[in-house]
Amino acid sequence: MTPLEAEVAGEQLWLHPLKGLFWPRENTLMLADLHLGKAAHFRKEGIAVPRQAEQQNLHRLGQLVASFKVERVLFLGDLFHSRYNASWESFGHWMQEFSHIDFELVIGNHDILAPVDYQRVGLKIHQGGLVCGPFLLTHEPLEKPHQKGFNLAGHWHPGARLRGRGRQHLSLPCFYFNRFQGVLPAFGAFTGKMAVKPERGDRIFVVTDQEIMPFSRN
Amino acid sequence: MKRSELLGIAEGWFAQRGWKPMKFQYETWRHFLAGRHGMLNAPTGSGKTYALLVPVMLDFIRRYPKDYQERYDSGLQLIWIAPIRALTKEIEFSAKTLCEGLGLNWRIEVRTGDSSSSVKNRQKKSMPEILITTPESLHLILAQKQYPRLFRKLQAFVADEWHELLGTKRAVQVELALSRFKAMRPNLRIWGISATIGNLDEALEVLLGNAHAPSSIALVKANIQKKIEVVTMLPDEIEKFPWAGHIGLKMLEKVLPIIHGSKTTLIFTNTRAQAEIWYQRLLETDPSLAGMMAMHHGSIDKKLRHWVEAELHGERLRAVVCTSSLDLGVDFRPVETIVQIGSPKGVARFLQRAGRSGHQPGATSCIHFLPTNSLELVESAALQQAMDEQFLEHRQPYVRSFDVLVQYLITLAVSEGFYPQVLFKEIQSTFCYQGLTEAEWSWLLAFITHGGESLNHYDEFHKVEVAPDGKFQVTSRRVALRHRLNIGTIVSDQLMIVKMLNGSRLGTIEEYFVSRLSPGDIFWYAGRNLELVRVKENAAQVRRSDKKAGAVPSWMGSRMPLSSQMSEMLRFKLNQAMMGGTKEIEMQTVMPLVEKQQELSHVPGKDEFLIEKMKTREGYHVFMYPFEGRNVHEGLAFLMAYRISLLQPITFSIALNDYGFELLSDQEIPIEDAIDTDILSPDHLFDDINASVNSTEMARRKFRDIASISGLIFKGYPGKFKKDRHIQSSSQLFFEVFHDYEPSNLLLRQAFDEVLEFQLEETRMRKALVRISKQKIILTEPRQFTPFSFPLMVDRLRERMSTEKLEDRIRKMKLKLEV
Repeated sequence: MTPLEAEVAGEQLWLHPLKGLFWPRENTLMLADLHLGKAAHFRKEGIAVPRQAEQQNLHRLGQLVASFKVERVLFLGDLFHSRYNASWESFGHWMQEFSHIDFELVIGNHDILAPVDYQRVGLKIHQGGLVCGPFLLTHEPLEKPHQKGFNLAGHWHPGARLRGRGRQHLSLPCFYFNRFQGVLPAFGAFTGKMAVKPERGDRIFVVTDQEIMPFSRN
Repeated sequence: MKRSELLGIAEGWFAQRGWKPMKFQYETWRHFLAGRHGMLNAPTGSGKTYALLVPVMLDFIRRYPKDYQERYDSGLQLIWIAPIRALTKEIEFSAKTLCEGLGLNWRIEVRTGDSSSSVKNRQKKSMPEILITTPESLHLILAQKQYPRLFRKLQAFVADEWHELLGTKRAVQVELALSRFKAMRPNLRIWGISATIGNLDEALEVLLGNAHAPSSIALVKANIQKKIEVVTMLPDEIEKFPWAGHIGLKMLEKVLPIIHGSKTTLIFTNTRAQAEIWYQRLLETDPSLAGMMAMHHGSIDKKLRHWVEAELHGERLRAVVCTSSLDLGVDFRPVETIVQIGSPKGVARFLQRAGRSGHQPGATSCIHFLPTNSLELVESAALQQAMDEQFLEHRQPYVRSFDVLVQYLITLAVSEGFYPQVLFKEIQSTFCYQGLTEAEWSWLLAFITHGGESLNHYDEFHKVEVAPDGKFQVTSRRVALRHRLNIGTIVSDQLMIVKMLNGSRLGTIEEYFVSRLSPGDIFWYAGRNLELVRVKENAAQVRRSDKKAGAVPSWMGSRMPLSSQMSEMLRFKLNQAMMGGTKEIEMQTVMPLVEKQQELSHVPGKDEFLIEKMKTREGYHVFMYPFEGRNVHEGLAFLMAYRISLLQPITFSIALNDYGFELLSDQEIPIEDAIDTDILSPDHLFDDINASVNSTEMARRKFRDIASISGLIFKGYPGKFKKDRHIQSSSQLFFEVFHDYEPSNLLLRQAFDEVLEFQLEETRMRKALVRISKQKIILTEPRQFTPFSFPLMVDRLRERMSTEKLEDRIRKMKLKLEV
């Protein structure tokens, strides 16, 4: 699994096939749409999603954190899927193993836990946008350029549609960048994706299990 | 009361109406009164309804000879299952007429998805003597608390048009409901009514399950030969007639004189979209039809449908454009003529539709067949020969459908709860689940109580609970409510209601279609031009428009495969044509096309197998023509693709129809090498099928229905309950998580089993390959698409298969610009 380096808003960023974005100058890892607890939420409602789907999320998250020298992890919203369930405690335990790392969350539309739940596990939360160097972090992608910085966001679960000769089609998760913002793929297992419509000048980084593969529309 | 006296009552009523009971009616009455179960093989319009209504009532009279005319509220005596709603009214009418004639004070009621809640509530308190219903509605009753009370007096169960249900999961629902009724009412008499199909004996076995003595079972055949006249409508110039396509508007003008020359005409189309298009174009071409023509299909609102049915009865309509929604049972006496647009794909279906006209006993049915492309002319000739020879299809029943079983278990847990030891025996008594093992049963119980895995203290899985006495039950009202909304086995896409601005309902439409429209767009629906005003709370609000429609909704749907019986006939006809021995007008008409095929490539003779290869801008094409019908072609195409991919990593896009299939790739297909390595050999078939099913998308698609039926995906109903957003997910995601984390999940295994049973059915493929292996392979390289290959090339609905590394495929691809 090899990350790919890309220049965004004058900064060098690493895009990782595990669907994280690492900013080496600040040792910061950014992730979006983990939807932790989604499987458990379904199970609580009597819909039998295998529990391992849940455990796999934390396993991959650990792998990703271990791939870089991470000091700060920023979740760009939809960290937890819905109302409180036991998966939140598993996440709390997991965080304790990384006490040297600061974990922060930009609140997304799915993040409806009580403030005390975030506090208890030591997660710092941000309502609205968070400015971080040249970047303005939000959950939902902004509609137009913002003076406070280059927008990095989640929420869309972006997917790229590819076509090839012989009537071949593929649809895969991707990082999506236009001139004023970047949208991260959804990290969580058991989440879907939404096709993005590329405009002229956009950059699309398709994510496979092994690689990050760049595409652009000229 | 003596039997002759009893039969005399029925004969008296028949005589009053100037009728005389037919032999098969007598036979059925006798068997029923002797306590037997059975199957009545009789066509529509033959008097089959009275064959079974009469003895149920006579049986009642026998039990209460003195006061049967004074008894009220006698409890539910008979459940009559009808596969479609349009049929229920007809049966209700017959039953009411008979009741009045015999002086019984019985209530006869219909219960379907169309029934009002006041009817449903009344039935909860007190059941009518005869309940006419559908498999889904029956299971909804089983989901009510205290349902056993309603069936305490049940005497008989009739599954009407059983051949239509057999081969669907709705039949499995009937089997399960019956297993419950039999346990409650051991003397229940069970009867099926079926048109002629190839496996009538099996149909009976499926209905009765495996717990009956042969002496208690009767098979009654009506032996009514209906005279059917088939007229194929021929294009004026075959050279200008399309090689592909399924809409058939080219010969629209030829339908007009048929409509005008007949009292009432039913025009059958194969899809709802096709019905919409035909209705629109007929009106445009002949405005004088306005007000005299209507449309009928399953997505149109029940009020409109009922209106159309009533107008048909009242002889106030000249023509109705319809789909299979009017296929069955309904006795529309005024109907004189049938037009079938496009191939009906099966002999039994064609006979059924032909039988819609000339409903009176002894009358001749007339059906006009309008081919939509040239090769359908050959099909028409094949169809007629198959009809003459009574060469009818089998309907393959589903077995081991775990999805339906999961749904049923929860249905019972929602209402009265169940004890597994008792229920297991009931379920094993059905045809579908006779092979259910203890291990599978335990897995199913675990799945509904703690989500399929061993219990874990962290887990909060919440669905079915086990009471201290061992009873399985659902206590959560939310789970119960959601389950009741989800009962059924017909899976459709998320539907939206179509409403006029004043609130009146027109019907339903797929959300997918609406999502591609913007407010102001005009589309054609339910026979009118509509402008989309806005989408509000799962309803598309529309108003009438004078502008021309830009779009016609497509309902995802059924592409019917040609039955193997038809395929065999088709090969025979083509052969005949090449030998010059064709007399039929259809075959003579299509000859120029056959000659064109011969000129560009080749027409395979009896001992030949044709393969065509071509290179175009799109890539490299290989076409093969086994003439075995869609289902077998699907399997063969994947098998060929898999075997070729053993020579080199390669990606295919696959198209198929009833005549053959196409493999298309971006790289050159080593077809010569593949032929050398015997890719058409029947050897190692079983292993290769299993290997190829894993590399395809077929199981994933099957899983869509399974996930929905077993309650994994909850869509809600149009206009109801939009709240549960956080537990909505796609079957695709479920397929992936099960595949990755729980590969032994029985529902996932079922998806693969269904593919192997219905698509990649080994016996049919082996038969085809053995036949092909005796043939000489003819490989041609035509310079342009041939009459055989063209319809495949233009087909947009494609399957895919790849053995290339994903990254290697991506490197050769480009971004798709439109979404």
